[in-house]
Amino acid sequence: MDCGTASGKIAAKADGLLPREAEAELAAHLAGCPSCAAEDAAIRATGPALRALTGIRAREKAPALGAMWTRVRAGVEESRETRRRFSWIARWGWIPAAAALAVAAFLFYPAGTDRSPFHPATFDVAVEEVDSDAATVALVDKGEDLPRVIWIIEDAKT
Amino acid sequence: MPKRNLRGGPGAPALPILLLLLLLLLAAVPVDAADTVSVDVGAVYASNEGTSIDPALGTIREKLRSMFNYTSYRMLDRKRRSLSVGETGEFDLPGRRTMRATLLPARGDKVRLSLQISEGPRKLLATTLGLRRGGMVLVGGPTHQAGVLILLISAE
Repeated sequence: MDCGTASGKIAAKADGLLPREAEAELAAHLAGCPSCAAEDAAIRATGPALRALTGIRAREKAPALGAMWTRVRAGVEESRETRRRFSWIARWGWIPAAAALAVAAFLFYPAGTDRSPFHPATFDVAVEEVDSDAATVALVDKGEDLPRVIWIIEDAKT
Repeated sequence: MPKRNLRGGPGAPALPILLLLLLLLLAAVPVDAADTVSVDVGAVYASNEGTSIDPALGTIREKLRSMFNYTSYRMLDRKRRSLSVGETGEFDLPGRRTMRATLLPARGDKVRLSLQISEGPRKLLATTLGLRRGGMVLVGGPTHQAGVLILLISAE
């Protein structure tokens, strides 16, 4: 195996793509080639170095990330609470308004359909004139606390 | 995460229901103008069939019992019309009779009504009455079934 082939296999090994049967062949080459062994060692050291660097940066940014996460959670919770509150209003808020309108309609419902019992305030009535083509008409007055009556006596039926 | 539609669900019918109630209210509330009079006509069937007295007659029940010799009083129909001066309202009465009421000019809390009760072409009664707002007059006598009709006419 020459050094060019070994370099490609070193890279494949670092990526985890080197077949198991080729590993022994590469190992034999590395044992006899210091430059390829140095390249292999450098590549193997890159992964832990990157991981260590990421860990350091994460620790550096941890306070800022924590604060940001707290703000995000607070925002999510606030949004959920607002939605919950408006959902409740949308679901039940119309009931008091509908009840108020129903009471108002009941109180003022009336013309043409009023069925409340008769409670006349007065029986003070003046009969200015009376006429009939087909009946005899009598005025009946039994006192102030009783209503005046116009009584029709139908001639053809009496 | 599925998104909830706040305008859907059980709260959705609120707006149509409110609008319907509002329309009902607007249709029901009478225009209470000072120059209009509400004429209320109740048609009572008085007879000697049974001894029941319709509770819908209110305080007039005892008056009817003390004035007439009938044993039963039953409200057959009741209608109300709002009339302005010069306007005529027509009331259908039991037994194919009709009553036309015309509001005449009057002063203060007085109400003047011209009434005409007809049975087909026959004019049973034509009269002009002056009464106070809230007052009542009775017109009775036309035969109906085994008894007579008594009209309770009030104006407010």
